[in-house]
Amino acid sequence: MMASRLIPRTAVRSGFRTQSSLPTVTTSPLSRWRRGYASQAEEKDLVIIGGGVAGYVAAIKAGQEGLKVACIEKRGALGGTCLNVGCIPSKSLLNNSHLYHQILHDTKNRGIEVGDVKLNLKDMMKAKDTSVTGLTKGIEFLFKKNGVEYIKGTGSFANEHEVKVALTDGGETSVRGKNILIATGSEATPFPGLEIDEKRVITSTGALSLDKVPEKMIVIGGGIIGLEMGSVWSRLGAKVTVVEFLNQIGGPGMDTEIAKQAQKLLKKQGMEFKLGTKVVSGESSGELVKLEVDSAKGGKPETLEADVVLVAIGRRPYTAGLGLENAGLEVDDRGRVVIDSEYRTKASHIRCIGDVTFGPMLAHKAEEEAVAAIEYIKKGYGHVNYGVIPSVMYTHPEVAWVGQNEQELKDKKIPYKIGTFPFSANSRAKTNLDTDGMVKMLADPETDRLLGCHIIGPNAGEMIAEATLALEYGASTEDIARTCHAHPTLAEAFKEAAMATYSKAIHF
Amino acid sequence: MASFATACRLSARLASRRVAQDASVRGLRTSAASRAAQNFTMPALSPTMTEGNIATWKVKEGDEFAAGDVLLEIETDKASMDVEAQDDGIMMKIFAADGSKAVQVGTRIGVLAEPGDDISSLEIPADESKSAQQGAKKEEAPSQSGAPSEAAPQKKAADSSKRKTSGQKAPPQKYPLYPSVEHLVKEHKLDEAALSEITPTGPQGRLLKGDVLAYLGSITESRPADIKKRFDHNSHLDLSNIKIAAPAAPPKAQKAAAPEAPVPEDLLVVLPISLASVIETQKKIEASLGTFLPLSTFVARAAEVANDELPLPSNYKPSANELFNQVLGLDKVDPKVSRGLYIPQITAVPPTSFTGVAPKPKPSKVDIIDLLSGSPKKSAKPAAQSLGQPGISAGTNTFSLKVPKSEEKRAQVFLARLKTVLEQDPGRLVL
Repeated sequence: MMASRLIPRTAVRSGFRTQSSLPTVTTSPLSRWRRGYASQAEEKDLVIIGGGVAGYVAAIKAGQEGLKVACIEKRGALGGTCLNVGCIPSKSLLNNSHLYHQILHDTKNRGIEVGDVKLNLKDMMKAKDTSVTGLTKGIEFLFKKNGVEYIKGTGSFANEHEVKVALTDGGETSVRGKNILIATGSEATPFPGLEIDEKRVITSTGALSLDKVPEKMIVIGGGIIGLEMGSVWSRLGAKVTVVEFLNQIGGPGMDTEIAKQAQKLLKKQGMEFKLGTKVVSGESSGELVKLEVDSAKGGKPETLEADVVLVAIGRRPYTAGLGLENAGLEVDDRGRVVIDSEYRTKASHIRCIGDVTFGPMLAHKAEEEAVAAIEYIKKGYGHVNYGVIPSVMYTHPEVAWVGQNEQELKDKKIPYKIGTFPFSANSRAKTNLDTDGMVKMLADPETDRLLGCHIIGPNAGEMIAEATLALEYGASTEDIARTCHAHPTLAEAFKEAAMATYSKAIHF
Repeated sequence: MASFATACRLSARLASRRVAQDASVRGLRTSAASRAAQNFTMPALSPTMTEGNIATWKVKEGDEFAAGDVLLEIETDKASMDVEAQDDGIMMKIFAADGSKAVQVGTRIGVLAEPGDDISSLEIPADESKSAQQGAKKEEAPSQSGAPSEAAPQKKAADSSKRKTSGQKAPPQKYPLYPSVEHLVKEHKLDEAALSEITPTGPQGRLLKGDVLAYLGSITESRPADIKKRFDHNSHLDLSNIKIAAPAAPPKAQKAAAPEAPVPEDLLVVLPISLASVIETQKKIEASLGTFLPLSTFVARAAEVANDELPLPSNYKPSANELFNQVLGLDKVDPKVSRGLYIPQITAVPPTSFTGVAPKPKPSKVDIIDLLSGSPKKSAKPAAQSLGQPGISAGTNTFSLKVPKSEEKRAQVFLARLKTVLEQDPGRLVL
């Protein structure tokens, strides 16, 4: 009945639409969607330089708090390193390369027979790009929703109140800010003597978009970035060798025991490790890239060759072209912008957060700081608990930790007790046929307060959230152990590790 | 329309369920089993509803009702809706009689009893909504205003430490005790007095296992405090090795001073439109086809046409979808217009008007809109009912719209179009 009534009307309407005698609707352009480029130096409550995780979160938060805010980003897409050439695309490749690897090597014992398995690298990259575009567009949407003005261009200080912007589309403008937030992030530290061309000598950025799987790949630096990208290309068929100066992989925060286990498991997957080895020099003019390496403890020198060398020796603050000197701001010996505990620089209306200043270079740390900085501006108080910032390495198995590790406690002569629980004794891991790894907890021997938690195993990155919550609330391992965990889940291993710490695990 | 009604009903049902839940929670707290009567508060029929009028109660005091029965009809500025009973029961008392205006959501409007209760012996519970509201006004912590002061045996954990500390340091524990702490408390039979003597070292003054152990003497007394100091230290960025700029005064928290949204002012947009041409067409159709088409059909269809692609109101806020389409660049296709929901009010103008050959208007006060849809303002869709010819002037009629100020332009465009459509060739509307 509804339909029959509607049809003639629709016809009527469309009949009239063609009639020119209908008064025309004047479509007045909505001026607020137009960026006011023409205006010179309009004053904002807050100008943010950098639209990465620190910058965009601060912009949205500031918009929500009712500040008039502009965010300057030169990349052409929001989200910074994390979304465009970091966390997000690497997770896409890690996940899909893991699936591929698993289909290749780990189906028979699960009762699955597969025929020819072929890699289509181009499509794998396309899947990655789709994820990235979706997310960066999502941020642009959130900017609109929260009334953040998005200026596409390169910002630099004209003076301490004004930021010049060289617009991406050509031309120049400038914005004045009552407050200015520096959130310019970081860039990969280059290796002296090796010129990065992102084809054969690459950083993590290049490693996310190689056009073919290299036969041999050398990773300089066995930290999280190096191991993740090494994992991707190793799974896709490259012969990967990791050269690390320290005697442990995973970087400084990873617990030694966990790092050893991770190394063993990654080695089983086909990656090779040269620990305690220093790269002396590199040469990329020939057909293959050559590296001269030397054992750090003075062993015999060696020459390594590879199609592609990934430089992953860390990241450094990025302030090039920012004109810090025009605002009279200082950086320290490692290029970090000097701040106080409220993120203020020397000029108190200019604040600085994220990778470009102190603290671990992690997206979630930057995000916390962004919120805290806006709260300082708006409410005069903000807080980030730097003692409780989790770290995750998304290899397989994943490695995740929060709080202090065993080595740190030992070095500081802090007494501790340990409880561990292996995933091989966990029912869910068993059914998943994915039993590598363990949960390790460190607690005060007297008060039982949790000091740190280190997990290597399936889904460690998700599970670490529970440890982070426990640490934030000052929980004891008994508190964790007395909290019900669903069965059968991997999280039960977490609970059992807590039980093992304060008394005894049931299933081990 | 149907779906809107369903939605209303749904939300009403949800709301009454919430009421029932509220009541059952309260029922738990009021320990005496005989006091089974529950306050029945004004439900929120939509997330934005803050107050409403009670049109009629469908049950009287003392009436029994079953789950699903309509208890009362509530009017809001948007619609009127039935509130259904979620459970069987008896309407014990009604506080807000038929026709009560602007009853705030959450205000007690009645008292319900369980089926089979003897309502003459039941005690009417205290009006908690009132006290809660007062509490909220005083800006007390919500946890305190809600909790009964003395008798709450089921909240043993939190309440056990609630008493004022005898010592100097420990603030009362506002949160449930940690599992380990609770365990120790039970194991060592610590009472509230003992608990309040323990110095908490957890975040926000929370009592930790170590604190209790230290109190019990099973570990070093200073241990929890030492650990707390370490955690406090770790929680800050280590900025000790750099030169810190001289601390300047923190920038004053700027008052955003967001101007209060102006109270939407209604505006009457008026346009005289001649229906002469319509009536002529009507006659022509009747003569040639033998079908009588009521005027309302013409007006409704003209409104349908005129509602198409109206300019957006000046204070228009794009929806999330539209914003996302803008980001994706899909908005270029679609000009900044949207479909309107206007239904014009029509009043006859005395025939003294200069617009030509007006036959005698039939004097009448019937508003066509009342016939078209029960609503005097906007409604989802004008229903094209077959009506007799209401008293509309065959000459010039005043078409008016009551709209918020921000929609002035939109309404003007609507009326201008309506005029065009009705005055020039209305035959196209129906043929």
